[in-house]
Amino acid sequence: MSTRFGSLGNLMKKQDLILNAICLLFAAGFVVMALTNVRRAGNFFSIDSLFITLVSLLLAGIFMVIPLLWAYENGMLKNLFAAEGDDTPVEAVPVHFEGTTKLFLVILGALLILTVVEVLLAYIQVPLVLMLTLLVGLSLIKAALILAYFMHLRYERMSLVYTLIPMLVICICLLFIFFPDSFRQLGLRVYR
Amino acid sequence: MSTHAHAAERLTADDWSGGTFPYHIGHKKLGMWLFIVSDALTFSALLIGYCYVRVSSDAWPTPFAFYPSIIFSTVMTLCLLASSFTMVMAVAASARRDRRKARRWIGATMLGGLTFLALHIYEWLHLINDYGLKPFTLPATWLERWPQASPLFGATFFAITGLHMFHVLTGVLYLGYIALRIRRKTHEDVEISGLYWHFVDLVWMFVFPLIYLLSVDFHPPAH
Repeated sequence: MSTRFGSLGNLMKKQDLILNAICLLFAAGFVVMALTNVRRAGNFFSIDSLFITLVSLLLAGIFMVIPLLWAYENGMLKNLFAAEGDDTPVEAVPVHFEGTTKLFLVILGALLILTVVEVLLAYIQVPLVLMLTLLVGLSLIKAALILAYFMHLRYERMSLVYTLIPMLVICICLLFIFFPDSFRQLGLRVYR
Repeated sequence: MSTHAHAAERLTADDWSGGTFPYHIGHKKLGMWLFIVSDALTFSALLIGYCYVRVSSDAWPTPFAFYPSIIFSTVMTLCLLASSFTMVMAVAASARRDRRKARRWIGATMLGGLTFLALHIYEWLHLINDYGLKPFTLPATWLERWPQASPLFGATFFAITGLHMFHVLTGVLYLGYIALRIRRKTHEDVEISGLYWHFVDLVWMFVFPLIYLLSVDFHPPAH
């Protein structure tokens, strides 16, 4: 673009700078808002305070996207997102399958062992929170094994993984916003 | 013409440049992945709702004795894991263009799914007929053992395991369709049905510990 339309290129550069400056300003504003909330909120672990903090940080993150993309396109963040040298040509989506029977048997064995460990854990009477952490942790490992090997995600392009997984994790984390409220409900009982 | 298209594709073939197949997978497969992500959110919302109700309740029934509930659900988990393995073998056979073997492996997968369904329905009938569990009321015997227990136990249990059972049923039907018409299906179609099946398996990996293993009855009353 800039070689063919020199002056236009310069104009675009200026526009880029202004756009990035505005975005950075907004992002900084939202970070300041989140920090102010942390400082001023009486009880930080209340549902309102957590919500305001989270939304401010989310908006700050959204406004950071454009400057970061711009920096990436101008080669400032190259090594951060370096691709893993996958340059196989596309021929109307060729058949692509990796992994041997032995590998899948090993994964199956690992999943079965983890399941048995979970059942055994259920019969050792440990405190509920520790138990919940252990069970969910083991389940997350199992889910990761299924995703990576059975669902073939490990052998796909990293761009697919980056598109699917972080979004899912962020949305699930946002659902946890309800938990402070459930503890509050427990404290609101009139009987007992 | 097509070689030109491929050349253009190659030019933009690094990770984030878009092109006809931005992720090097077919559009159908990308569609299945997006469906899986949204369905995963449905299940996480249900499971987190269940955790919410459980945390905010004074007491929660823990009624699952070793026999039949825990042993059945463990065997069901093993069934699903084994069927996931056979599904991978089906996809591997299909990648080698060995459609007969692929069909056999899919048949084995369906068998695993049907075993899961049969055991699960037995377990439901056990809870409904032997104890009298209903979606919004607890059996009287349970209320004696766990006073002030939340009546929502049945609702969460039937909603979450029911929706999962529905997914298993659809998965079995879907695999049956693919197996019947495997000669007219591409490798990608087999792979997509595999993705769906593994997802059903993956969801159970969270339902099983959260619903069953956190509600183990350590001292069941003698009958």
